Amino acid sequence: MILGIETATTACAAGLAAGERRVESLLASDRRHVEVLVPGIQSLLAAWPATLGDVTRIVVDHGPGLFTGLRVGIATAVALAEATGAELVGVTSLEVYAAEAAARGVTGSVVAVVDGRRGELFAQSFTLGDAVVARDIPRVVRPRDLAEHWAGAAAPVTFVGDGAVRYASDLGAVPGATCLEVAWPSVETAMAIGAQRDPSPVHPLYLREADAVANFPTRPWP
Amino acid sequence: MRVLGIETSCDETGVAVLSTGWHLESSVVESSMALHRDFGGVVPELAGRAHVETIGPTVRAALAQAGLDVRAPQLDAVAVTTGPGLVGSLLVGLAAAKAYALAWDVPLVAVNHLEGHLYAPLLESPDLAWPLLTLLVSGGHTQLVLVEAPGHFTVLGETIDDAAGEAYDKVARWLGLGYPGGPPIDRLAGTGDPTALTLPVSMTGEGLDFSFSGLKSAVVRAGERHAVAAADVAAAFQGAVVEQLTRKMVQALGRHRVAGVALAGGVAANRALRAATAAIAAERGIAAHLPSPAYCTDNGAMIAAAGLVHLAAGDVAGLDVGADPTWALGA
Ligand SMILES: [Zn+2]
Repeated sequence: MILGIETATTACAAGLAAGERRVESLLASDRRHVEVLVPGIQSLLAAWPATLGDVTRIVVDHGPGLFTGLRVGIATAVALAEATGAELVGVTSLEVYAAEAAARGVTGSVVAVVDGRRGELFAQSFTLGDAVVARDIPRVVRPRDLAEHWAGAAAPVTFVGDGAVRYASDLGAVPGATCLEVAWPSVETAMAIGAQRDPSPVHPLYLREADAVANFPTRPWP
Repeated sequence: MRVLGIETSCDETGVAVLSTGWHLESSVVESSMALHRDFGGVVPELAGRAHVETIGPTVRAALAQAGLDVRAPQLDAVAVTTGPGLVGSLLVGLAAAKAYALAWDVPLVAVNHLEGHLYAPLLESPDLAWPLLTLLVSGGHTQLVLVEAPGHFTVLGETIDDAAGEAYDKVARWLGLGYPGGPPIDRLAGTGDPTALTLPVSMTGEGLDFSFSGLKSAVVRAGERHAVAAADVAAAFQGAVVEQLTRKMVQALGRHRVAGVALAGGVAANRALRAATAAIAAERGIAAHLPSPAYCTDNGAMIAAAGLVHLAAGDVAGLDVGADPTWALGA
Protein backbone atom coordinates (compact mmCIF):
# COMPACT_ATOMS: atom_id res chain seq x y z
CA MET A 1 0.00 0.00 0.00
CA ILE A 2 1.18 3.54 -0.81
CA LEU A 3 0.71 6.51 1.53
CA GLY A 4 0.80 9.92 -0.14
CA ILE A 5 1.59 13.19 1.64
CA GLU A 6 0.99 16.66 0.20
CA THR A 7 2.05 19.84 2.05
CA ALA A 8 3.69 22.01 -0.61
CA THR A 9 0.96 24.65 -0.73
CA THR A 10 -1.35 26.18 1.87
CA ALA A 11 -3.36 22.96 1.48
CA CYS A 12 -2.57 19.78 3.35
CA ALA A 13 -3.73 16.47 1.89
CA ALA A 14 -3.02 12.76 2.25
CA GLY A 15 -4.00 9.67 0.35
CA LEU A 16 -3.77 5.90 0.18
CA ALA A 17 -3.46 3.64 -2.85
CA ALA A 18 -3.44 -0.14 -3.25
CA GLY A 19 -4.24 -2.04 -6.42
CA GLU A 20 -6.92 -0.14 -8.30
CA ARG A 21 -8.25 1.56 -5.21
CA ARG A 22 -7.21 5.12 -4.35
CA VAL A 23 -8.43 7.68 -1.82
CA GLU A 24 -7.38 11.23 -1.24
CA SER A 25 -8.48 13.63 1.48
CA LEU A 26 -8.02 17.39 1.72
CA LEU A 27 -7.29 17.87 5.41
CA ALA A 28 -7.00 21.67 5.57
CA SER A 29 -6.42 24.53 3.19
CA ASP A 30 -5.14 27.16 5.63
CA ARG A 31 -1.56 26.16 6.45
CA ARG A 32 -2.47 24.00 9.47
CA HIS A 33 -0.27 21.20 8.11
CA VAL A 34 1.22 20.13 11.43
CA GLU A 35 -2.16 19.99 13.16
CA VAL A 36 -4.05 18.00 10.54
CA LEU A 37 -1.55 15.76 8.72
CA VAL A 38 -0.97 12.90 11.18
CA PRO A 39 -4.60 12.77 12.40
CA GLY A 40 -5.63 12.78 8.73
CA ILE A 41 -3.37 9.82 7.94
CA GLN A 42 -4.78 8.03 10.97
CA SER A 43 -8.39 8.52 9.80
CA LEU A 44 -7.61 7.50 6.22
CA LEU A 45 -6.09 4.25 7.48
CA ALA A 46 -9.04 3.60 9.80
CA ALA A 47 -11.55 4.21 7.01
CA TRP A 48 -9.75 1.96 4.47
CA PRO A 49 -9.39 -0.13 6.84
CA ALA A 50 -5.63 -0.66 7.10
CA THR A 51 -2.74 0.00 9.45
CA LEU A 52 0.61 1.72 9.00
CA GLY A 53 2.10 -1.78 8.89
CA ASP A 54 0.38 -2.25 5.51
CA VAL A 55 2.16 0.79 4.06
CA THR A 56 5.16 -0.29 1.99
CA ARG A 57 5.90 3.02 0.28
CA ILE A 58 5.50 6.67 1.28
CA VAL A 59 5.30 9.25 -1.51
CA VAL A 60 5.84 12.84 -0.41
CA ASP A 61 5.73 16.08 -2.40
CA HIS A 62 9.13 17.64 -1.67
CA GLY A 63 8.45 20.94 -3.38
CA PRO A 64 8.99 23.53 -4.50
CA GLY A 65 6.43 25.30 -2.34
CA LEU A 66 5.71 26.65 1.11
CA PHE A 67 8.94 26.08 3.12
CA THR A 68 7.33 25.28 6.46
CA GLY A 69 4.73 23.07 4.78
CA LEU A 70 7.43 21.09 2.97
CA ARG A 71 9.30 20.57 6.23
CA VAL A 72 6.19 19.30 8.00
CA GLY A 73 5.42 16.88 5.17
CA ILE A 74 8.99 15.63 4.83
CA ALA A 75 9.65 15.34 8.59
CA THR A 76 6.42 13.31 8.87
CA ALA A 77 7.30 11.12 5.89
CA VAL A 78 10.87 10.53 7.09
CA ALA A 79 9.72 9.61 10.61
CA LEU A 80 7.00 7.26 9.32
CA ALA A 81 9.47 5.61 6.93
CA GLU A 82 12.06 5.20 9.70
CA ALA A 83 9.53 3.71 12.11
CA THR A 84 7.80 1.37 9.63
CA GLY A 85 10.57 0.50 7.21
CA ALA A 86 8.48 1.73 4.30
CA GLU A 87 10.30 3.01 1.20
CA LEU A 88 10.46 6.77 0.76
CA VAL A 89 9.92 8.47 -2.60
CA GLY A 90 9.87 12.19 -3.41
CA VAL A 91 7.92 13.82 -6.24
CA THR A 92 7.93 17.51 -7.15
CA SER A 93 4.87 19.71 -6.88
CA LEU A 94 5.51 20.88 -10.45
CA GLU A 95 5.53 17.43 -12.04
CA VAL A 96 2.37 16.55 -10.13
CA TYR A 97 0.61 19.65 -11.49
CA ALA A 98 1.79 18.83 -15.04
CA ALA A 99 0.59 15.23 -14.73
CA GLU A 100 -2.73 16.52 -13.40
CA ALA A 101 -3.09 18.69 -16.53
CA ALA A 102 -2.33 15.63 -18.67
CA ALA A 103 -4.95 13.63 -16.77
CA ARG A 104 -7.48 16.33 -17.67
CA GLY A 105 -6.71 15.94 -21.36
CA VAL A 106 -4.37 18.90 -21.85
CA THR A 107 -1.69 18.45 -24.53
CA GLY A 108 1.15 20.64 -25.83
CA SER A 109 3.00 23.25 -23.78
CA VAL A 110 2.23 23.31 -20.08
CA VAL A 111 3.86 25.46 -17.44
CA ALA A 112 3.37 24.27 -13.87
CA VAL A 113 3.45 27.21 -11.46
CA VAL A 114 3.54 27.17 -7.67
CA ASP A 115 2.98 30.36 -5.70
CA GLY A 116 6.45 31.13 -4.34
CA ARG A 117 5.26 34.21 -2.41
CA ARG A 118 7.01 37.60 -2.49
CA GLY A 119 5.60 38.14 -5.97
CA GLU A 120 7.41 35.14 -7.42
CA LEU A 121 6.51 31.78 -8.90
CA PHE A 122 8.26 28.42 -8.85
CA ALA A 123 7.86 27.25 -12.43
CA GLN A 124 8.75 24.44 -14.82
CA SER A 125 7.79 23.86 -18.47
CA PHE A 126 6.57 20.55 -19.83
CA THR A 127 5.39 19.13 -23.13
CA LEU A 128 2.36 16.91 -22.78
CA GLY A 129 1.67 14.24 -25.38
CA ASP A 130 1.95 10.49 -24.94
CA ALA A 131 4.05 11.30 -21.88
CA VAL A 132 4.78 14.26 -19.61
CA VAL A 133 8.21 15.52 -20.69
CA ALA A 134 10.05 18.24 -18.73
CA ARG A 135 11.55 20.93 -20.97
CA ASP A 136 13.59 22.72 -18.30
CA ILE A 137 14.34 22.53 -14.60
CA PRO A 138 12.32 24.07 -11.76
CA ARG A 139 13.16 27.76 -11.31
CA VAL A 140 12.03 31.02 -9.72
CA VAL A 141 10.36 33.55 -12.02
CA ARG A 142 8.23 36.68 -11.70
CA PRO A 143 4.67 36.30 -13.06
CA ARG A 144 5.11 39.31 -15.41
CA ASP A 145 8.34 37.89 -16.83
CA LEU A 146 6.75 34.50 -17.39
CA ALA A 147 3.76 36.13 -19.07
CA GLU A 148 6.04 38.24 -21.28
CA HIS A 149 8.05 35.21 -22.32
CA TRP A 150 4.95 33.32 -23.44
CA ALA A 151 3.42 36.37 -25.11
CA GLY A 152 6.63 36.58 -27.15
CA ALA A 153 6.54 32.87 -27.96
CA ALA A 154 3.10 33.34 -29.53
CA ALA A 155 2.22 29.67 -28.98
CA PRO A 156 -0.65 28.09 -27.08
CA VAL A 157 0.24 27.31 -23.48
CA THR A 158 -1.56 26.06 -20.39
CA PHE A 159 -0.61 27.33 -16.94
CA VAL A 160 -1.46 24.95 -14.12
CA GLY A 161 -1.08 25.19 -10.37
CA ASP A 162 -1.92 27.38 -7.41
CA GLY A 163 0.35 30.01 -9.00
CA ALA A 164 -1.96 30.10 -12.02
CA VAL A 165 -4.90 30.68 -9.70
CA ARG A 166 -3.19 33.49 -7.82
CA TYR A 167 -1.73 35.19 -10.90
CA ALA A 168 -4.61 34.42 -13.30
CA SER A 169 -4.79 38.09 -14.31
CA ASP A 170 -1.14 38.16 -15.47
CA LEU A 171 -0.90 34.68 -16.96
CA GLY A 172 -4.45 34.50 -18.36
CA ALA A 173 -3.83 37.71 -20.33
CA VAL A 174 -1.17 35.99 -22.47
CA PRO A 175 -2.62 35.46 -25.99
CA GLY A 176 -3.36 31.77 -26.52
CA ALA A 177 -2.94 30.95 -22.84
CA THR A 178 -5.29 28.96 -20.63
CA CYS A 179 -5.17 28.91 -16.82
CA LEU A 180 -6.19 25.51 -15.53
CA GLU A 181 -7.63 25.71 -12.04
CA VAL A 182 -5.98 23.10 -9.88
CA ALA A 183 -5.67 24.46 -6.36
CA TRP A 184 -3.25 21.94 -4.86
CA PRO A 185 -1.13 19.10 -6.23
CA SER A 186 -3.26 15.95 -6.31
CA VAL A 187 -2.12 13.21 -3.93
CA GLU A 188 -3.60 10.53 -6.20
CA THR A 189 -1.46 11.83 -9.06
CA ALA A 190 1.59 12.08 -6.79
CA MET A 191 1.11 8.46 -5.69
CA ALA A 192 0.78 7.34 -9.33
CA ILE A 193 4.09 9.05 -10.21
CA GLY A 194 5.77 7.83 -7.02
CA ALA A 195 4.72 4.23 -7.65
CA GLN A 196 7.00 4.15 -10.72
CA ARG A 197 10.08 5.65 -9.09
CA ASP A 198 13.06 4.21 -7.18
CA PRO A 199 13.18 5.09 -3.48
CA SER A 200 15.77 7.67 -2.41
CA PRO A 201 16.42 10.12 0.43
CA VAL A 202 14.06 13.10 0.27
CA HIS A 203 15.09 16.71 0.82
CA PRO A 204 13.02 19.89 0.45
CA LEU A 205 13.40 21.56 -2.95
CA TYR A 206 13.56 25.20 -1.83
CA LEU A 207 14.86 26.87 -5.04
CA ARG A 208 15.73 29.89 -2.95
CA GLU A 209 18.48 30.64 -0.46
CA ALA A 210 17.25 31.11 3.09
CA ASP A 211 15.95 34.70 3.05
CA ALA A 212 18.24 35.44 5.95
CA VAL A 213 21.30 34.62 3.88
CA ALA A 214 20.31 37.26 1.38
CA ASN A 215 19.13 40.00 3.75
CA PHE A 216 19.50 39.20 7.41
CA PRO A 217 19.12 42.48 9.34
CA THR A 218 22.75 42.98 10.37
CA ARG A 219 22.07 46.41 11.84
CA PRO A 220 25.14 47.78 13.59
CA TRP A 221 25.02 47.44 17.31
CA PRO A 222 23.76 49.22 19.39
CA MET B 1 8.20 4.03 31.97
CA ARG B 2 10.44 5.03 29.11
CA VAL B 3 10.10 8.23 27.08
CA LEU B 4 11.72 9.57 23.92
CA GLY B 5 12.30 13.34 24.13
CA ILE B 6 12.56 15.49 21.00
CA GLU B 7 13.76 19.10 21.11
CA THR B 8 13.90 21.39 18.05
CA SER B 9 12.87 24.81 19.38
CA CYS B 10 15.97 26.71 18.24
CA ASP B 11 19.23 25.61 16.61
CA GLU B 12 19.72 22.27 18.37
CA THR B 13 18.17 18.99 17.27
CA GLY B 14 18.18 17.06 20.54
CA VAL B 15 16.82 13.56 21.06
CA ALA B 16 17.12 11.39 24.18
CA VAL B 17 15.71 8.31 25.87
CA LEU B 18 14.93 8.57 29.58
CA SER B 19 13.29 6.03 31.88
CA THR B 20 11.68 6.13 35.31
CA GLY B 21 14.09 7.24 38.02
CA TRP B 22 15.50 9.89 35.68
CA HIS B 23 17.69 7.19 34.20
CA LEU B 24 19.22 8.62 31.03
CA GLU B 25 19.67 5.87 28.44
CA SER B 26 20.88 8.08 25.60
CA SER B 27 21.15 11.67 24.47
CA VAL B 28 22.19 12.96 21.06
CA VAL B 29 22.41 16.65 20.09
CA GLU B 30 23.06 18.00 16.59
CA SER B 31 23.62 21.75 16.47
CA SER B 32 23.38 24.10 13.50
CA MET B 33 25.22 26.81 15.46
CA ALA B 34 28.07 26.95 12.94
CA LEU B 35 25.62 28.02 10.21
CA HIS B 36 24.49 31.05 12.23
CA ARG B 37 27.87 32.44 13.36
CA ASP B 38 28.26 34.90 10.49
CA PHE B 39 24.84 36.41 11.16
CA GLY B 40 25.30 37.26 14.81
CA GLY B 41 22.28 35.22 15.85
CA VAL B 42 20.18 32.22 14.97
CA VAL B 43 18.69 32.60 11.49
CA PRO B 44 15.25 30.93 11.72
CA GLU B 45 15.08 29.68 8.13
CA LEU B 46 18.57 28.14 8.35
CA ALA B 47 17.67 26.46 11.65
CA GLY B 48 14.47 25.03 10.13
CA ARG B 49 16.39 23.72 7.13
CA ALA B 50 18.94 22.04 9.38
CA HIS B 51 16.30 20.36 11.58
CA VAL B 52 14.53 18.67 8.67
CA GLU B 53 17.83 17.07 7.60
CA THR B 54 18.91 15.98 11.09
CA ILE B 55 15.67 14.87 12.76
CA GLY B 56 15.50 11.33 11.34
CA PRO B 57 19.19 10.46 11.84
CA THR B 58 19.21 11.99 15.35
CA VAL B 59 16.20 9.93 16.48
CA ARG B 60 17.76 6.81 15.01
CA ALA B 61 21.08 7.57 16.76
CA ALA B 62 19.43 8.19 20.14
CA LEU B 63 17.46 4.93 19.91
CA ALA B 64 20.57 3.01 18.83
CA GLN B 65 22.57 4.48 21.70
CA ALA B 66 19.87 3.22 24.08
CA GLY B 67 19.93 -0.19 22.41
CA LEU B 68 16.43 0.22 21.02
CA ASP B 69 15.06 -0.78 17.61
CA VAL B 70 13.56 2.09 15.60
CA ARG B 71 10.81 -0.26 14.36
CA ALA B 72 9.77 -1.44 17.83
CA PRO B 73 11.47 0.75 20.44
CA GLN B 74 9.56 -0.29 23.60
CA LEU B 75 8.71 3.28 24.55
CA ASP B 76 5.75 4.51 26.59
CA ALA B 77 5.51 7.97 25.03
CA VAL B 78 7.08 10.48 22.69
CA ALA B 79 7.61 13.89 24.33
CA VAL B 80 8.25 16.91 22.16
CA THR B 81 8.82 20.62 22.63
CA THR B 82 5.79 22.50 21.27
CA GLY B 83 6.91 25.96 22.47
CA PRO B 84 8.22 28.50 23.07
CA GLY B 85 10.67 28.80 20.19
CA LEU B 86 11.09 29.43 16.49
CA VAL B 87 7.93 28.23 14.78
CA GLY B 88 9.73 26.82 11.72
CA SER B 89 11.99 24.78 13.99
CA LEU B 90 9.26 23.64 16.40
CA LEU B 91 7.15 22.34 13.50
CA VAL B 92 9.85 19.91 12.34
CA GLY B 93 10.22 18.21 15.72
CA LEU B 94 6.47 18.22 16.30
CA ALA B 95 5.68 16.72 12.88
CA ALA B 96 8.24 13.96 13.40
CA ALA B 97 7.14 13.30 16.99
CA LYS B 98 3.53 12.81 15.89
CA ALA B 99 4.60 10.43 13.13
CA TYR B 100 6.66 8.35 15.56
CA ALA B 101 3.85 8.35 18.12
CA LEU B 102 1.39 7.12 15.47
CA ALA B 103 3.78 4.48 14.12
CA TRP B 104 4.76 3.16 17.55
CA ASP B 105 1.21 3.52 18.89
CA VAL B 106 2.24 5.48 21.99
CA PRO B 107 0.92 8.76 23.41
CA LEU B 108 2.35 12.14 22.51
CA VAL B 109 3.32 14.54 25.31
CA ALA B 110 3.57 18.28 24.53
CA VAL B 111 6.37 19.90 26.53
CA ASN B 112 7.09 23.53 27.33
CA HIS B 113 10.77 24.06 26.50
CA LEU B 114 11.35 26.20 29.60
CA GLU B 115 9.80 23.58 31.87
CA GLY B 116 12.23 21.11 30.33
CA HIS B 117 15.16 23.30 31.43
CA LEU B 118 13.87 23.15 35.03
CA TYR B 119 14.41 19.37 35.11
CA ALA B 120 17.99 19.39 33.77
CA PRO B 121 19.43 19.01 37.35
CA LEU B 122 17.62 15.64 37.63
CA LEU B 123 19.68 14.23 34.77
CA GLU B 124 22.81 14.35 36.91
CA SER B 125 21.29 14.24 40.41
CA PRO B 126 18.25 11.92 40.20
CA ASP B 127 17.85 11.91 43.98
CA LEU B 128 18.02 15.68 44.53
CA ALA B 129 15.89 17.28 47.24
CA TRP B 130 13.12 19.73 46.39
CA PRO B 131 12.20 22.55 46.36
CA LEU B 132 14.74 24.33 44.18
CA LEU B 133 15.21 27.95 43.30
CA THR B 134 16.16 27.82 39.63
CA LEU B 135 17.68 30.62 37.60
CA LEU B 136 16.90 29.96 33.96
CA VAL B 137 19.23 32.04 31.80
CA SER B 138 19.71 31.71 28.06
CA GLY B 139 19.82 33.70 24.85
CA GLY B 140 16.05 33.92 24.84
CA HIS B 141 15.03 33.76 28.51
CA THR B 142 15.90 35.04 31.97
CA GLN B 143 13.60 33.77 34.72
CA LEU B 144 13.77 33.00 38.40
CA VAL B 145 11.55 29.99 39.16
CA LEU B 146 10.58 28.33 42.42
CA VAL B 147 10.27 24.61 41.63
CA GLU B 148 8.41 22.93 44.51
CA ALA B 149 8.66 19.53 42.79
CA PRO B 150 8.54 18.23 39.21
CA GLY B 151 5.32 19.55 37.70
CA HIS B 152 4.86 22.25 40.34
CA PHE B 153 6.56 25.58 39.92
CA THR B 154 6.02 29.33 40.15
CA VAL B 155 7.76 32.01 38.10
CA LEU B 156 9.02 34.57 40.64
CA GLY B 157 10.60 37.02 38.23
CA GLU B 158 11.69 37.48 34.63
CA THR B 159 13.41 39.96 32.37
CA ILE B 160 11.43 43.01 31.37
CA ASP B 161 13.54 43.54 28.23
CA ASP B 162 16.55 41.58 26.92
CA ALA B 163 17.51 38.10 28.06
CA ALA B 164 20.90 37.86 29.77
CA GLY B 165 22.30 35.78 26.92
CA GLU B 166 21.02 38.32 24.40
CA ALA B 167 22.95 41.07 26.24
CA TYR B 168 26.07 38.89 26.10
CA ASP B 169 25.63 38.42 22.35
CA LYS B 170 25.17 42.15 21.74
CA VAL B 171 28.16 43.21 23.82
CA ALA B 172 30.29 40.49 22.19
CA ARG B 173 29.25 41.74 18.76
CA TRP B 174 30.23 45.28 19.74
CA LEU B 175 33.58 44.03 20.99
CA GLY B 176 34.02 42.04 17.75
CA LEU B 177 34.10 38.74 19.62
CA GLY B 178 31.64 36.92 17.37
CA TYR B 179 28.60 34.81 18.11
CA PRO B 180 27.63 33.31 20.49
CA GLY B 181 28.93 35.95 22.89
CA GLY B 182 28.92 34.10 26.21
CA PRO B 183 32.05 31.96 25.98
CA PRO B 184 34.44 34.64 24.58
CA ILE B 185 33.28 37.29 27.10
CA ASP B 186 33.63 34.76 29.91
CA ARG B 187 37.21 33.97 28.78
CA LEU B 188 38.18 37.61 28.23
CA ALA B 189 36.64 38.73 31.53
CA GLY B 190 39.08 36.50 33.38
CA THR B 191 41.98 38.72 32.29
CA GLY B 192 40.24 42.11 32.71
CA ASP B 193 39.74 44.60 35.52
CA PRO B 194 36.04 44.95 36.32
CA THR B 195 36.61 48.27 38.13
CA ALA B 196 38.05 49.96 35.02
CA LEU B 197 34.49 50.77 34.01
CA THR B 198 31.62 51.82 36.26
CA LEU B 199 28.32 50.39 35.08
CA PRO B 200 24.88 51.17 36.48
CA VAL B 201 23.27 48.82 38.97
CA SER B 202 19.86 47.91 37.52
CA MET B 203 16.66 46.74 39.18
CA THR B 204 17.57 47.72 42.73
CA GLY B 205 14.04 47.37 44.11
CA GLU B 206 12.30 44.54 45.95
CA GLY B 207 10.86 43.02 42.77
CA LEU B 208 12.45 39.91 41.26
CA ASP B 209 12.33 40.98 37.63
CA PHE B 210 15.50 41.57 35.59
CA SER B 211 16.61 44.18 33.05
CA PHE B 212 19.67 44.06 30.80
CA SER B 213 19.05 46.50 27.98
CA GLY B 214 20.25 49.56 29.98
CA LEU B 215 23.41 47.71 30.90
CA LYS B 216 24.31 46.95 27.31
CA SER B 217 23.77 50.61 26.32
CA ALA B 218 25.88 51.79 29.26
CA VAL B 219 28.72 49.52 28.15
CA VAL B 220 28.71 51.12 24.72
CA ARG B 221 28.49 54.69 26.06
CA ALA B 222 31.36 54.11 28.49
CA GLY B 223 33.41 52.40 25.81
CA GLU B 224 32.90 55.28 23.41
CA ARG B 225 33.76 58.01 25.95
CA HIS B 226 37.24 56.77 26.64
CA ALA B 227 39.42 53.93 25.52
CA VAL B 228 38.84 50.87 27.66
CA ALA B 229 40.56 47.57 27.04
CA ALA B 230 38.17 44.93 25.70
CA ALA B 231 39.10 42.64 28.59
CA ASP B 232 38.10 45.33 31.07
CA VAL B 233 34.79 45.91 29.28
CA ALA B 234 34.13 42.17 29.35
CA ALA B 235 35.03 41.94 33.05
CA ALA B 236 32.89 44.92 34.03
CA PHE B 237 29.93 43.76 31.92
CA GLN B 238 30.07 40.19 33.17
CA GLY B 239 30.44 41.45 36.72
CA ALA B 240 27.32 43.59 36.39
CA VAL B 241 25.26 40.77 34.82
CA VAL B 242 26.27 38.25 37.46
CA GLU B 243 25.73 40.81 40.23
CA GLN B 244 22.13 41.44 39.11
CA LEU B 245 21.35 37.75 38.61
CA THR B 246 22.74 36.72 42.00
CA ARG B 247 21.26 39.71 43.87
CA LYS B 248 17.78 38.65 42.74
CA MET B 249 18.59 35.05 43.61
CA VAL B 250 19.58 36.12 47.14
CA GLN B 251 16.43 38.26 47.47
CA ALA B 252 14.31 35.26 46.47
CA LEU B 253 16.15 32.99 48.92
CA GLY B 254 15.20 35.45 51.67
CA ARG B 255 11.53 34.80 50.93
CA HIS B 256 11.43 31.09 50.05
CA ARG B 257 12.89 28.12 51.91
CA VAL B 258 14.49 25.76 49.41
CA ALA B 259 16.74 22.69 49.52
CA GLY B 260 18.94 23.98 46.73
CA VAL B 261 19.61 26.47 43.98
CA ALA B 262 19.99 25.50 40.33
CA LEU B 263 21.14 27.05 37.10
CA ALA B 264 19.60 26.22 33.73
CA GLY B 265 19.92 27.45 30.15
CA GLY B 266 22.94 28.26 28.00
CA VAL B 267 24.22 31.09 30.22
CA ALA B 268 24.38 28.57 33.09
CA ALA B 269 27.68 27.45 31.53
CA ASN B 270 29.16 30.85 32.49
CA ARG B 271 32.01 30.32 34.97
CA ALA B 272 31.48 33.52 36.97
CA LEU B 273 27.78 32.78 37.40
CA ARG B 274 28.50 29.20 38.45
CA ALA B 275 31.09 30.33 41.00
CA ALA B 276 28.79 32.98 42.45
CA THR B 277 25.87 30.53 42.64
CA ALA B 278 27.99 27.89 44.34
CA ALA B 279 29.11 30.49 46.91
CA ILE B 280 25.52 31.56 47.64
CA ALA B 281 24.52 27.93 48.22
CA ALA B 282 27.55 27.15 50.36
CA GLU B 283 26.88 30.19 52.56
CA ARG B 284 23.37 28.89 53.28
CA GLY B 285 24.25 25.23 53.50
CA ILE B 286 21.98 24.25 50.62
CA ALA B 287 22.74 22.30 47.45
CA ALA B 288 23.99 23.97 44.27
CA HIS B 289 22.94 22.23 41.05
CA LEU B 290 25.17 23.41 38.25
CA PRO B 291 24.44 21.13 35.27
CA SER B 292 27.24 20.09 32.91
CA PRO B 293 27.36 22.32 29.82
CA ALA B 294 25.66 19.56 27.77
CA TYR B 295 22.56 19.83 30.00
CA CYS B 296 22.67 23.63 30.36
CA THR B 297 22.14 24.07 26.63
CA ASP B 298 19.12 22.68 24.76
CA ASN B 299 18.86 18.90 24.65
CA GLY B 300 16.31 16.12 24.29
CA ALA B 301 16.96 14.66 27.76
CA MET B 302 15.32 17.55 29.60
CA ILE B 303 12.31 17.30 27.28
CA ALA B 304 12.09 13.58 28.00
CA ALA B 305 12.24 14.40 31.73
CA ALA B 306 9.32 16.81 31.40
CA GLY B 307 7.62 14.12 29.30
CA LEU B 308 7.93 11.59 32.15
CA VAL B 309 6.44 14.13 34.59
CA HIS B 310 3.42 14.81 32.37
CA LEU B 311 2.95 11.19 31.31
CA ALA B 312 2.84 10.13 34.98
CA ALA B 313 0.14 12.78 35.52
CA GLY B 314 -1.84 11.48 32.53
CA ASP B 315 -1.27 14.74 30.73
CA VAL B 316 -0.96 13.64 27.11
CA ALA B 317 -1.66 15.59 23.92
CA GLY B 318 -3.83 14.81 20.93
CA LEU B 319 -2.17 14.19 17.56
CA ASP B 320 -3.83 17.43 16.42
CA VAL B 321 -1.79 19.59 18.83
CA GLY B 322 -0.11 22.61 17.26
CA ALA B 323 3.09 24.49 18.06
CA ASP B 324 2.88 27.53 20.36
CA PRO B 325 5.91 29.76 19.64
CA THR B 326 5.12 32.10 22.56
CA TRP B 327 4.04 29.55 25.19
CA ALA B 328 4.87 31.14 28.55
CA LEU B 329 6.15 28.99 31.41
CA GLY B 330 3.26 28.04 33.68
CA ALA B 331 0.59 29.16 31.20
ZN1 LIG C 1 16.62 26.59 25.93
